[in-house]
Amino acid sequence: MEEQLQEDWLDARLREEMPYIDDDGFTAGVVQKLPAPQPRRSIRGAVLLGAAIVASLLAYLVSDGGRFLVVEAYRLLSMPLLFVSLIAIVLTVTMTAIAACAAWSNARTQR
Amino acid sequence: MPLNDADLVARVLLEDDHHAFAELVRNHQSAIRGLLRQLTRSDLALADDLAQETFLRAYKNMRSFRGEAKFSTWLYRIAYNCFREDARKRKELVGVDQSLLEAEQDPQTVDPALRHDLMQALQLLPLHERSAIVLCCQNGLSHDEAARVLDIPLGTVKTNVLRGREKLKRILAAWAPA
Repeated sequence: MEEQLQEDWLDARLREEMPYIDDDGFTAGVVQKLPAPQPRRSIRGAVLLGAAIVASLLAYLVSDGGRFLVVEAYRLLSMPLLFVSLIAIVLTVTMTAIAACAAWSNARTQR
Repeated sequence: MPLNDADLVARVLLEDDHHAFAELVRNHQSAIRGLLRQLTRSDLALADDLAQETFLRAYKNMRSFRGEAKFSTWLYRIAYNCFREDARKRKELVGVDQSLLEAEQDPQTVDPALRHDLMQALQLLPLHERSAIVLCCQNGLSHDEAARVLDIPLGTVKTNVLRGREKLKRILAAWAPA
């Protein structure tokens, strides 16, 4: 009983020893040291999309209405099936590897 | 209506909102600075430097806060790590100071004011017991939360709190109610 009384007394004194500390410009000091805000992702996305559209338009105009696409498509169709399949497999494996690396790097940052 | 910690964290993450982060700092600065003052044995300048470092690290690593623990527990953990890294750099003796031990044995040197005595008694404790007492008894963290902050097993926290309390009771025996 006496033991408990002493513990309660001690806990109460300890809690009293944690008075509120006035900010006194502390928060302002921390905020001042924060890095400048990054451009928002939506803005970054819009800029990227805009640049992609402009680049596509330019490519379309410079390449005589995209005629080279038709030519390349015909060339691809005339290639042997095995060769086309190989290209497709290599591209798939490369893309999967890149995606896996990005996911792993992201997971590491989150940790 | 004031926003809670989770809302403020979401704003920082989604919009990089400095005002929301400032609100978080305002809400927690007293507890973090208080903890660091106790850990640094009342070195106010060092404690405030470490508190500033704590909040800057929290800002940089906000994405790693997943809301499994309370935001304050997460901050305490960063603060404790900042303190430990700094202590390691300074090669500070993190156990009991010899001069303070001598003061404990000589009742003549103890200030008659209880507040002063309690502060002195706390500073006599070795770091692992002082940290456990400050987190659990002064800041109201559960043993489980303190174990996360200090990165030690739950049983060790309980032992440290028990031992720290015993030492404090012994040192402050003259003040305790009969």
